[in-house]
Amino acid sequence: MDETTTQHATPHTVVDSRGSSCPGPITDLTLAYRRSKVGDIIELWATDPGVRPDLQAWARKTGNKVVSVDDEDGKIVAVLEIVKR
Amino acid sequence: MGERVVIVGGGAGGTILANSLDPKRFDVTVLASSPVHLFQPALLYVAFTGAHPRATRDEHRLLRRHVRFVQDAATKVDLTDKVVTTSSGARFGYDAIVVATGMAPDPSQIPGLAEVDARFGDYHTDLAQAEKLWSSLQAFNGGTIAVGQASPIVKCPPSPLEGAFLAEELVTRRGLREKTRMVFFTPYPRAYPSAPMNEVVEPIMRARGIEIMEFFDVDRIEPETRTIRSIEGDEIVYDLPIVIPPFVGADITYEPCDVVNEDRFLITDKETLQIKGVDRAFAIGDGSNLPTSKAGVGAHLEAKAVATALAGRPVRFTGRTHCPFDVGYGRGTFVIGSYDAPVVKARPSRVKRLMKMAFEWIYWISLSGVIEPVFTVYFKLTAPKPAPASGSVPDSSSSLT
Ligand SMILES: Cc1cc2nc3c(=O)[nH]c(=O)nc-3n(C[C@H](O)[C@H](O)[C@H](O)COP(=O)(O)OP(=O)(O)OC[C@H]3O[C@@H](n4cnc5c(N)ncnc54)[C@H](O)[C@@H]3O)c2cc1C
Repeated sequence: MDETTTQHATPHTVVDSRGSSCPGPITDLTLAYRRSKVGDIIELWATDPGVRPDLQAWARKTGNKVVSVDDEDGKIVAVLEIVKR
Repeated sequence: MGERVVIVGGGAGGTILANSLDPKRFDVTVLASSPVHLFQPALLYVAFTGAHPRATRDEHRLLRRHVRFVQDAATKVDLTDKVVTTSSGARFGYDAIVVATGMAPDPSQIPGLAEVDARFGDYHTDLAQAEKLWSSLQAFNGGTIAVGQASPIVKCPPSPLEGAFLAEELVTRRGLREKTRMVFFTPYPRAYPSAPMNEVVEPIMRARGIEIMEFFDVDRIEPETRTIRSIEGDEIVYDLPIVIPPFVGADITYEPCDVVNEDRFLITDKETLQIKGVDRAFAIGDGSNLPTSKAGVGAHLEAKAVATALAGRPVRFTGRTHCPFDVGYGRGTFVIGSYDAPVVKARPSRVKRLMKMAFEWIYWISLSGVIEPVFTVYFKLTAPKPAPASGSVPDSSSSLT
């Protein structure tokens, strides 16, 4: 995982989980969620297609928002908004 | 004099690496805070079966003659000036460095966990804690056993579930199953994080009546009400909590300081194993931030990859994992994958469990590096198949030889 914080109006964390093998990108997302505050944006990059249903399930469970999930040449870019902690 | 290589850490990764370097080319020093080498997977059996394996060896004796062993803890690693400073004040200059300091339990991250750990024990810290957990299981007389990991970072991803399976087997053998509620909690969306493997183990858990609480990321433990609470807002009231603590990297100050992340894991190139932006500096094993399982097998393969790199040959670490998985009642399986090949389903069997048990004595021999050709063949034969759609570079385990 490679985590960087970029300059945005709201805290915006990029979590690079590309090529992550077992246990996979959800580990990185969970870690980022632990450190987040309400209002934060987490942008997760992944290559594992299994991340899509996991993100939806995660958002349902935690009450947070999946803003978008896009595929950019095999790189899945998911933008998540933390609305609940 | 050969190139001076300092290896910080004398665990699974550091020991194999030290023994793999050619004494004609390298002047090797292993610096480790402990003189004792612990075979950590044994903690599972100490805690859940009361086993008394010979789980420790003298690290000095595991190293080949040419390797200099220094028992001292590194406190500062200056990657710019190429000097390691230790707690006794000694300084070691080097030409190349490999950090193999593993990761340490950090119960302080979760309020209430230190108290629970001290009272009930756990199976990821050391032998004394594992023995304490065995005593807690012996004293258990019915009620709720809650097993799980307190943070997403864990040694050996199957180990939380192995604990649940072995605890269930134990209470059944002790005739307490009817009086016991078994709960497994996990921060992941499913019992085992990788979906194909979950399809194998979840039905076994359901058949054995082990409840699964998914997306249960431990926020705090309240010992006075015996309650574990999650960030997601759920709770479990326990009689016996078996909580795997969060982990952090070694307590070492780095120069430059931005080579470690918030949890002190070294930011490491996932294919070359080089520490971010530093020449002839590598990280292997649990102490790196590689996006793969924290396991001895990974530390082993990473050590071999770094030995190849130090010898000046090109190498690509494939992210190979190969974790044995005890599902209880004498059966086991393996979780096998890599960066390019997702984990696939592997049915449990008695033979796979026996292979896991055999690993205990193979481990000590493997540290010497002498049976490496056998491992190379074994890892090749069991190599996972790259995902067809990924279009990525084929598995190059062979380049690790
Ligand atoms: C219950 C359990 C079950 C497991 N099962 C399996 C399994 O079935 N298969 C598998 O492959 N793996 C398994 N593992 C994981 C495996 O044991 C570890 O992943 C492996 O030991 C990691 O190796 P390492 O070299 O990175 O670190 P370690 O083996 O932990 O070694 C770290 C070394 O660094 C030293 N050190 C730490 N800090 C400093 C410092 N500041 N200065 C100097 N030295 C320092 C320590 O003294 C030690 O020598 C299991 C672990 C547990 C707890």
